[in-house]
Amino acid sequence: MKKSEICVIVSIIIFIFSLAYITSLGGLGYLPPVDVRKLAQIYLSSTYNPFEPTNTSSGYESVTAIVWDFRGLDTFFETAVFYGAIIASIAVYRGVEIDTRKKPIGMSPIAKTVTRLSTVLIPTVAASIAFHGHLTPGGGFQAGSVATVVIVLIVMVFGLRKVILKGLTKPKILLLRSLGLIGIGLTAIGLVLAGLVIGVNAYIFQNQAKPIARISYPMWVDDILVGGSLLLFNLFEFIAVTAGFALVLMLFSIEEEEVRKVIK
Amino acid sequence: MIEIFTLAFLMLVSIASVIAAFKAIIEKDMVRAIVYSAIQSAMYALIFYVLMAPDIVLVYIPVSVGITPAILLFVTKKTERYDGD
Repeated sequence: MKKSEICVIVSIIIFIFSLAYITSLGGLGYLPPVDVRKLAQIYLSSTYNPFEPTNTSSGYESVTAIVWDFRGLDTFFETAVFYGAIIASIAVYRGVEIDTRKKPIGMSPIAKTVTRLSTVLIPTVAASIAFHGHLTPGGGFQAGSVATVVIVLIVMVFGLRKVILKGLTKPKILLLRSLGLIGIGLTAIGLVLAGLVIGVNAYIFQNQAKPIARISYPMWVDDILVGGSLLLFNLFEFIAVTAGFALVLMLFSIEEEEVRKVIK
Repeated sequence: MIEIFTLAFLMLVSIASVIAAFKAIIEKDMVRAIVYSAIQSAMYALIFYVLMAPDIVLVYIPVSVGITPAILLFVTKKTERYDGD
């Protein structure tokens, strides 16, 4: 065994034991926890509580309620930071053109057939995660990253040129991404705009009615729990995250010779 | 009984993830190192699931097993596959 490998093993062991020691010292209590903590009780009782309509979110899922209702503004800024990173990578790759006259190089027919099946299955799973984000674990970001996997597969198996020849070009994905972001912004200020029109008080990122803002997104539509703004946020975040990740991965998969022509 | 089983399962998965991480560090072939790293991430996803964080699992699996290896494979294609001393 080489010296460097021994160093790696020793440092891994030291790291694991120091982590374990700090965890055993700290105030995490008994792990895994057996009772519901006080903070969790507050969140659980205000996530879905039909007896207290002014102090509740509108879905069954606490995580989505926290992410898009209790701390919606934080999530909005996280989304904005994600777009900043994507805009930066687009700026680096500006002016890079893909020569679509060359023949697309793909993998074997076996890989192509399996990928064709996955292009139906994976988006279905992603859509179910997005549309059930306020009922079961999941949400817009999770669904978006699941849907990106199918774009990775298509780009790798069929080749980037095939994707572009089929019509999934950079301006179209940029348009989708912008639509997602505009949708998130409009959902955030939707109730404020509605309040201005009908002349009542409302807040940004408001979902359900508050004591001095008696206006809310619909919680039930025809006996189906739609979760007010949570469903809209999840849907637009799903579109925006899928388009953002897809754009970056398509830019990364361009051959180096094509990029070198522009970036020197 | 169920708690002992949970802790034993967590310990087993953690040890597997440490072995995968060690193999990923010492591997000279970058493509194999990426696969080991994906195995390590899959073990972490199991740990998250057992520790009752299904939301994290749903985002961790596609990002760490799908997107990160894809980006690393693209980068490997543009640089060198074998790590020299």
